[in-house]
Amino acid sequence: MFVKRLALAGAVSLAATTAYADGHATCSFENETEVTMLSAAFEAWVAVTDAMVACGNFEPELDQEFRTKQPEGFAANPSLYQLGGVSNGTITPLLNAGTIRPLDDLIEAYGENLTPNQLIQIDGQTMAVAMMVNTQHMMYRSDIFADLGLEVPTAWEDVLAAAAAIQEAGVVDYPLGATMASGWNLAQDFNNMFVGFGGTFVNDDNTPNVNSEAGLAALDMMMRMTEYMDPEFLVSDSTYVQQQFQQGRIAMANLWASRAAAMNNAEESQVVGLIATSAAPLAMEGGAPATTLWWDGIVVAANISDAEAENAFRLAMEGINPATVEAAPDAAIWLIPGYEPNDMSAGAIATATADPAPPSYPSTTQMGLMHTALGNELAAFFTGDVSAEEALAAVEASYTVAAQEAGLLE
Amino acid sequence: MSDIPRAMRQPFALKFGSAAFLAFWCLLAAFPIFWIAVMSFKSPVDAFAASPFDVIFGPATRAAGDGLSILDIVVGVVVLFYTVKLALGWLPRKVVEWAPGGQVWAGWIIGVIGYALGFVLFFFFVLPAVLGVLNPILGPLGNPVLGLTTIHYQSVWVDNQFYQNFLNSLLVTGGVVTVSLTVGTLAGYGLARSGSNIAFWLLIIALIFRALPHSVLVAGYLPVFINSAEILRPILGENAPTLYGQPLAVIAVLVSINQPFTIWMLRSFFQNIPNELDEAARVDGCTHFQAFRWVIMPVMWPGVITTGLFSFLLAYNDFLVTSLLLDATNQTMVPAIAGYFNRETTTTDQVEAVAAAVSITAPLFLLVMVFQRQIVSGLTAGAVKG
Amino acid sequence: MKFKTFIWFVGPSLFLMLLFIAAPLVSVFLDSFRITQPVVQTVETETCSAGFLQQTCTTTINTVPVIDEETGRVVTTTEWVGWLSYERVLEPRRAWDAIRSFDYNGLMQIDFWAALRFTVMFTLVTLPLVIGVGLAIALAVNNAAKSLRGPIIFVSLLPFIITPVIGSLSIYWLFVGDGILTRGLEAWLDRDIAMFAQAWTIELLMLFYRVWHVAPFAFVIFYAGLQTVNQDTLESAIIDGASRWDRLRYVIIPHLMPLIVFIALIHLMDSYRVFDEIVGFRAQAYVISLQWLTFDFLAADDAGNRAFSRASASAMLTMIGIVILLIPLLRRTWRDHKGGSH
Repeated sequence: MFVKRLALAGAVSLAATTAYADGHATCSFENETEVTMLSAAFEAWVAVTDAMVACGNFEPELDQEFRTKQPEGFAANPSLYQLGGVSNGTITPLLNAGTIRPLDDLIEAYGENLTPNQLIQIDGQTMAVAMMVNTQHMMYRSDIFADLGLEVPTAWEDVLAAAAAIQEAGVVDYPLGATMASGWNLAQDFNNMFVGFGGTFVNDDNTPNVNSEAGLAALDMMMRMTEYMDPEFLVSDSTYVQQQFQQGRIAMANLWASRAAAMNNAEESQVVGLIATSAAPLAMEGGAPATTLWWDGIVVAANISDAEAENAFRLAMEGINPATVEAAPDAAIWLIPGYEPNDMSAGAIATATADPAPPSYPSTTQMGLMHTALGNELAAFFTGDVSAEEALAAVEASYTVAAQEAGLLE
Repeated sequence: MSDIPRAMRQPFALKFGSAAFLAFWCLLAAFPIFWIAVMSFKSPVDAFAASPFDVIFGPATRAAGDGLSILDIVVGVVVLFYTVKLALGWLPRKVVEWAPGGQVWAGWIIGVIGYALGFVLFFFFVLPAVLGVLNPILGPLGNPVLGLTTIHYQSVWVDNQFYQNFLNSLLVTGGVVTVSLTVGTLAGYGLARSGSNIAFWLLIIALIFRALPHSVLVAGYLPVFINSAEILRPILGENAPTLYGQPLAVIAVLVSINQPFTIWMLRSFFQNIPNELDEAARVDGCTHFQAFRWVIMPVMWPGVITTGLFSFLLAYNDFLVTSLLLDATNQTMVPAIAGYFNRETTTTDQVEAVAAAVSITAPLFLLVMVFQRQIVSGLTAGAVKG
Repeated sequence: MKFKTFIWFVGPSLFLMLLFIAAPLVSVFLDSFRITQPVVQTVETETCSAGFLQQTCTTTINTVPVIDEETGRVVTTTEWVGWLSYERVLEPRRAWDAIRSFDYNGLMQIDFWAALRFTVMFTLVTLPLVIGVGLAIALAVNNAAKSLRGPIIFVSLLPFIITPVIGSLSIYWLFVGDGILTRGLEAWLDRDIAMFAQAWTIELLMLFYRVWHVAPFAFVIFYAGLQTVNQDTLESAIIDGASRWDRLRYVIIPHLMPLIVFIALIHLMDSYRVFDEIVGFRAQAYVISLQWLTFDFLAADDAGNRAFSRASASAMLTMIGIVILLIPLLRRTWRDHKGGSH
């Protein structure tokens, strides 16, 4: 499946792709020691690990349960995996437990292809090397906007106005889509809106801070959005929204940048060439785009010998070199040299480079607890069981209990 | 029908009602499975199309040049019909004929695998080749009318190496069934023949064990399994294994989780075998174990097959244990399919997941088709009386 | 049978159960009364994160666990906390306030009570349905022509053998969004329908799915049982002039009674642990079940946090619930054991 899609994407760089599809990606060195890696399973990771497999003796484990397995696997001695694929959310437990090692020496020796914006540094030490960024941004049907003479919205108020106009014209089933499936997705959509309104999730003493004006404003805005959405929004995850786009049932959505390429996949999409992207809309004037920035990158385990670590890092550098980008140019917004942004990545880049820029998703234990609390408690507000204040109070109560259990609060 | 007493004869309304109910039930039972099977053969656009007719006839799939002609359909249906017919009639006869006495079960395994392989070979390789020659000759009869593509099966089995998962599933399932039955028949026999209170309380405790939510158990295993090398090193020295990712460890877990159900079921089978049988054997000088092995086991096969099927289903369908305790190289089929959904899933991924789902249902189909009579007769012979 | 022989027979099975079920059970029980947490410290950290053009650096106050210099592991403390975890799950005060003021909605805002409501409802509604539908199919199949029985049994068993994850997904797809059956319903009722936009339709689908999935199991057991109905009794009943209904009521059902108890036992246990449906139908926004609640406590978030103590408490509560449900059936088994032992 992946190989096939690569072959399609390969119109851009035919030669490299054919080599790749045949499984003959090249590697600059012959890997002698056994290396294992645990990461998430999305397409960018497939591209990276495929390039690393070419060096030999490498076993990638692309596992949907990696969130559960990674902290345990890295804590074992010796570590079960030499390499790990993390994002700014999932690096937290590894950082906290001290099971990943600083990479500065290794970067000096083997990181000649890396650029400074790829390095994740904690107190000056590089702990991870990022290969791609991801963010949620505006995707819209350019044909509908042109037909109805609508401006591309830059703020959420404009989005709602445009949605009303599209509803009026009745050209699609629902003007708006959103990844508001209860749980992780819903919480993430709230996070975006909440930081857009300038909120901060927790105070310095670890007490929660979402039951605030920004929280209420975020919930209010999301509730107003739901008027233009499929009533089943509480089960709609990224794949569902992507399908709604592909089948021409929605006209706009604030969707993950990594989903953009699929809109132009003729095999599954009925709207090829009709989708355009722009920066994530602002929630309030003068604020940052209402979204968070994410990166995905590679870490190296601490509980292994230095020689093993060196070898593993060298192998990892093969995975995130320009050849990978050439082979899978549309798989992600790569940070790797050689990446040429296309039309569909314009929105993500505009979002990431906006001024003021949206914040990165925070890598903290508190944020993990807050995210879970939001995901579990906010649904009751959207089903109409509780008011916004009650929902946010429930989030804070649920966060407080979890934080007490985790030892963050007395 | 004439030997049925008058009073047993049924009024038309009852007959009709019962038949209508059955027909409705069969439709209900088969439809969702039929539908995902249809979806798995279409291009993504068709599979998730709004109109049911588009899903069935697959215009987009047909437009891409993949389709079946009337001839294909007729031949295919005829072949399928005879496959089922042979599987139900000819195959059991031949197995019984060829297998040496007492080894019928081995005959079954070989027979079923051989039959399945033969079918796959004929239906997916020989038939398309023959029809490929015939279709262009026949004119209108040979024109495609029904969009159908096997591309998703190809990408699942060939590109994504699903056969690896299939083999892993076979290993885990086979292990679970074997160990579970060995351990379970011993325990079931012991429990059935002991009238002591300990036996009763053991059964009750087993029942309570069965009530424990699996997610809790499994979460408890993970840290222990991952660190087992460290934990066991003082005992086993440098050879201490990491249990995480080991099919054997997963087999042990699945057997244990399934033990309560297995021993309850087997115990009731054993209870239905008259006590006099083993007493007679004991009088002839057998030990308890010899009596169990040589006198009781031979009459227990229906019960063992039925219980084995339940073990098979549990191991084959398990998701919670296998997804958490196995690594990528040893992954079984169900977690592999679930993996399609948590990826950056695209519509194509979903249709491929459907194809994979249909693929893993096929062996279950075959199994039930072949063992159906044994299930019913096994249950009739044993468990249902207890 | 001598005790020693008995142990030889039961030993292997007992060993496996003790190792893989009893041992985790004990640790779950203990965990529900204690909390293990890392020792934390507050530090100021400068974090530089990847950006598209350049790094973005922020300085924040962070609470991080203390790491032991020697072992390289996080320092943790374990504290016995009594019933604290149970209180956190049950929220007795809030629940009692809600009950006193007849605030049903308020009570349902506490996860445990909402989960308990659904779990108990689910168990009690599906139980008679599964037995009824299973019995009806068994009677109807028994009534069908001999040549048709094989294929019908085969088709009937399909919902039972199909992998649960896949079974629930296949039904989910028929209904989600503009799924094929939702469209059918819309055309028939001439109105817009969204099956996953309110609680009761989702609950209905979950009930339907469970009956669809389990009724074949009940059916095949009952069908086997019907084959052993004593024909003499039936015939004498006919001679006595018993109607068809009377025969069902007074001969067949009593004969099947042990089987009904057996199915009820298995079904009570399984449906009280309802979980697959919640995941398969993505129902957690509207309804949750007890096992889902436990699972949710256990699921690691991005930062690797898991609420072990609350999960243990909720697992223990689930078990207690099952045991209570099973007591009447267990008493019957005890009587049989005393009466029927050899």
